[in-house]
Amino acid sequence: MRCVDLRKVLHSFPAICCFALAALVSPRVFAGVPAGTVISNTVTLNYSVGGVPAAVNSNTASFVVGELINLSLTLQASAPVSVNSPDVGRAITVLLTNTGNGSEAFGLTRNNTLAGDQFDPANAAAGAFFLENGLQPGFQASGPNADTLYLPGVNDPVLAADETRVIHVVSDIPAGIALGGLGNIGITANSLTPGASGALPGTGLPGAGTGGVIAVVGGSRATATVVGSYIVSGFAVTVSKSVLQVKDPRGGNLIMPGSVISYRVVVTVVGVGTANNLAFSDPLPAETTFVAGSIKVNGAARTDALDTDNADYTPATRTVSARFGNTPSPATQTIDFQVIVN
Amino acid sequence: MNKLKFPFRSRLVLAICLGIAAPHGAHAQQGSIELKNVAEIEVETKDGQGKIERKRQPVAKAIPGTEVFYTTTFKNVGNKPAGNIVINNPVPSNTTLVAGSVYGSNMEVTYSLDGKNFNAPDKLKVKDKDGKEVTATAADYTAIRWAYKGDLAVGKVETAGFRSVIK
Repeated sequence: MRCVDLRKVLHSFPAICCFALAALVSPRVFAGVPAGTVISNTVTLNYSVGGVPAAVNSNTASFVVGELINLSLTLQASAPVSVNSPDVGRAITVLLTNTGNGSEAFGLTRNNTLAGDQFDPANAAAGAFFLENGLQPGFQASGPNADTLYLPGVNDPVLAADETRVIHVVSDIPAGIALGGLGNIGITANSLTPGASGALPGTGLPGAGTGGVIAVVGGSRATATVVGSYIVSGFAVTVSKSVLQVKDPRGGNLIMPGSVISYRVVVTVVGVGTANNLAFSDPLPAETTFVAGSIKVNGAARTDALDTDNADYTPATRTVSARFGNTPSPATQTIDFQVIVN
Repeated sequence: MNKLKFPFRSRLVLAICLGIAAPHGAHAQQGSIELKNVAEIEVETKDGQGKIERKRQPVAKAIPGTEVFYTTTFKNVGNKPAGNIVINNPVPSNTTLVAGSVYGSNMEVTYSLDGKNFNAPDKLKVKDKDGKEVTATAADYTAIRWAYKGDLAVGKVETAGFRSVIK
């Protein structure tokens, strides 16, 4: 038996994440004139004396634009991240933005022991922070698109003015937490310019800015903290595929050319939450042929064509598909279809 | 009187040198104008009683959002009155003129959107995002012109100025 292709089911979540991220990233911050810019002004005065025209230029008044150190940190999801208990490598994603006007290095820290929640998330064994590498949206712990493990003092993010960086704050969830349990973490980013983080707005740091200009601490006090949350929801989407029946051409149940195989796929959503854009697809084995008109969803027949009903068969890819939209938990969807062995 | 003769190339170089030197008085002659331009910022200080005082000081460095006070002072240091006085001052690049901040007594003030053509504020038009023509605002101005009314008497000092905010 072939395995059900889970890619479409699983991809529905990153797809939603991508949209939200794009919406949050797109506005530019406009941090202001770049640090180090020289602003000059010269006045010209024309006049005449005794009918003889003349002109004079003033001295040039110039000054240098200093670096304003400012940053912002925003959660990329408004709701707590659903986890199980225990669970490993679960990410809360934040967006770090350099809202100052010069290049700035930032450090990342976290506080796992905030009061007012039901459990303390732990730094993930794989690492407490990962820097999004842009190869694939969402947190990738491993594989060819794996995000970059953050090592304080080694690869602190250095952002140009207006630049943003997606950061994944990754946690392991302890065992034994009841459904609905909330675990909060404080996530902090701070400027690594000495003397900047936590200083009063307006604090001047001569020579500490980009290119050696003065740095001035902005309204953020060169630090930003957000609180991210995990909720134990037991949320999961599972898929199982089984053979309901085999009918061979001789009236038996042997698999041979001409046998009709009836498959049943059950997609289950459990726990607390909603599976957004839940979808299913199953490419057929090469040795089989789809039985036209055999698709049923929850016992009701569906047409083969890609139309207004929520299931279809695509001959070009030899794939049976079904779509369920945003599916609140708990839910079970049953898909039946048949193939003939070639 | 001895006349100095310069070959063409030398004359060209001399002319360039004079051009560079001109700003500070090559044309001043008798009755010339002394011109001074100052950029300042306002800072708050506390006196011994904790009272906050605001005072201006020349700016050497500033950050985006800072308001800069530009003051032009001109004085007739010659021995004859000076007339037809016109001051041109570009709004410094990377700054935005503060609406209502331009001053200068006994002067007619006009503005420019391109640094060449000057006019009264109500005659300066720009297009909004829908392509509709609207009256320009201070943020659109790129230069300011002050035309002094009448002559500047010998020894008299006048000032003009404006404020702009670093973008």
